[in-house]
This record gives sequence, C-alpha cells and structure tokens, in this order.
Amino acid sequence: MEKNLRLKFRPGDLIAAAAIAILAGAVAIAFFTTRSSGPAEAEIRQNGELIATVPLSEDTEFEIGGTYHNTVTVKDGEIAITSSDCPGEDCVLSGWRSTAGQSIVCLPNLVEIRIVAAEGSNDQGVDGVTG
Amino acid sequence: MSNTKKLALQAILVAAALALSYIERFIPLQMVIPLPGVKLGLANIVSLFALYFLGWRSAFVILILRCVLGAVFGGGVTALMFSLTGGLLSMAVMAVTRYVPFFSVYGASLCGAAAHNIGQIIVAVITLNSIYIVAYLPFLLLVGLVTGMLTGAAASACFAALIAAGQRPFDKGARHPDKG
Repeated sequence: MEKNLRLKFRPGDLIAAAAIAILAGAVAIAFFTTRSSGPAEAEIRQNGELIATVPLSEDTEFEIGGTYHNTVTVKDGEIAITSSDCPGEDCVLSGWRSTAGQSIVCLPNLVEIRIVAAEGSNDQGVDGVTG
Repeated sequence: MSNTKKLALQAILVAAALALSYIERFIPLQMVIPLPGVKLGLANIVSLFALYFLGWRSAFVILILRCVLGAVFGGGVTALMFSLTGGLLSMAVMAVTRYVPFFSVYGASLCGAAAHNIGQIIVAVITLNSIYIVAYLPFLLLVGLVTGMLTGAAASACFAALIAAGQRPFDKGARHPDKG
C-alpha cells in the first residue's frame, strides 16, 4: 500500500523537474533575447512644431533653416548637429545621440531634435495598463 | 467511509488549507526571493492529501472551496481569479500525475507548482494586458521546483505517518493502484 502511494522518488519526477527547467529556460531565452531596443527615430521640431521625423537607420544629412542654419547628420544609427552658424554652437558640442529620450537642442534656432522609439518597437513607455 | 464522515473530513481539510495559506503569508519569502506573488504554497499539501486519500473529485471540491473562502476572507475578486485559475490548472495536472504510475508525490507536487505558476501568469497577462509579464515565468518556475520539492516532502512525510498510524485511502470509486 505504501508503495502504491508512491512516496519515494521516481524517474518521472526527475523528468518532470527537467522539463520544467527547460521550459523556464526556453521562456527566458524567448523573452530576454528579442527585446533589444527597436529602431529609433528622431523627431525634429522647430518653434514647437514637428517639421520632420527621421529614422536613424539610414545615413543622411540635411539642413534646418530658420534664423540660423543647422546641419544635421545621421550616421551609424546616431544623429548630431554637425555644424551650425548660431552663436555659441552648444548644439554642435552636444555631439552624437542615439537613445530614445535624448535630445539635441539649438535654442537660437528654436530647434529640438528628440529621439523616440519607432512605432511598433518593443521599447514601450509603460509595462502595462490596467483599468 | 460514510458520507457524513467524508463531508466532515472535507470541511476540516478546507479549514486546514485556509489556515496554512494564511500562516504562510507571515513567512517573508520575498526577502529571499524578490518576486511578486512568490509563495511556499503550503496549502497544496492539503490538496495532495485530498487527491491521494479522497480522490480527485473531493480534491477539486476542497480546492474550489478554499479558493472562494480565501478570497472572501481577504483578497477580493482579483485574488479569487488568480488562485482559482492557478489552482484548477494545478489540480488538473496533479490529478493526471497522481493516476499515472510514472510520477511519485514529488512529481505531482512539482507539476502542480509549475501548472499553478503558469495559470497565474496567464491570468496576469490577460488582466494587465501585457505580454511582458511572461518574463516572470522562468523565475517562478525555478522557484516552483524548490517549493514543489518542499511541499512534496511534507506531503510524503505526512502520508507515511498516516499510513503507519493505520490510515488508508478512502475513495473506492476510482480504479487506481490503491484499490485493494
């Protein structure tokens, strides 16, 4: 009777434990390797208005006009104001940015370059929404 | 076993399961394992006892009762959803492992713990509307291996003591090795 109640270990137990461990590993791999930061974009605003959205995936160079002129370069997934005729050139000194949430600002020219995660990337702002 | 005696025994088991799940909240497991919702699951010892000594029908009834009453006494509807989903899935898996000679009590407990965690994650994903909660699952599963072993050991020791004291499984309806 005691044997029938199976109180001691059996090979099935080890297999169950191994299967659970493998399942844990599989879920961990599935979840922690595909969550790299998605394609980023830069939203370019002048005077508060969105004038362009630039994906950082393509190398490009363009100029923003206005009171002054900013030369914006996108290279290797990063963006920077590479030259400017504004006084101070703080924007050029800001250097290269590539992470969502970062900004490059040229105050005299009223320009803000804000890096955001692209639509549909995994880098959402919140983890979940209730209610 | 008479129906009255069986009814009384089931009621006592519900009370025992409730008491165990209440007491185990005082054990600060979250200091050791910083995961939300991680528990020892001591009430599963009662579930295992019911499953092995009274049969799966009684085991399911006792499980549902202790989930409902547990939510009534403290926890609310969300607690009920989580514990019921995890518990039903866990009991279903444990019932299968119990009647399959391949597994011992330890295997039943391990599979039950894993199923419980999976059930709760599923509810969490649906209610919070975020697939990212599944990221908790690997950790919960691994912790479940440990707690499943502990619960299985406790159940095994408990069963052995009961059998040594002359207790025998009560359910006569199911055709399984314990009969006769």
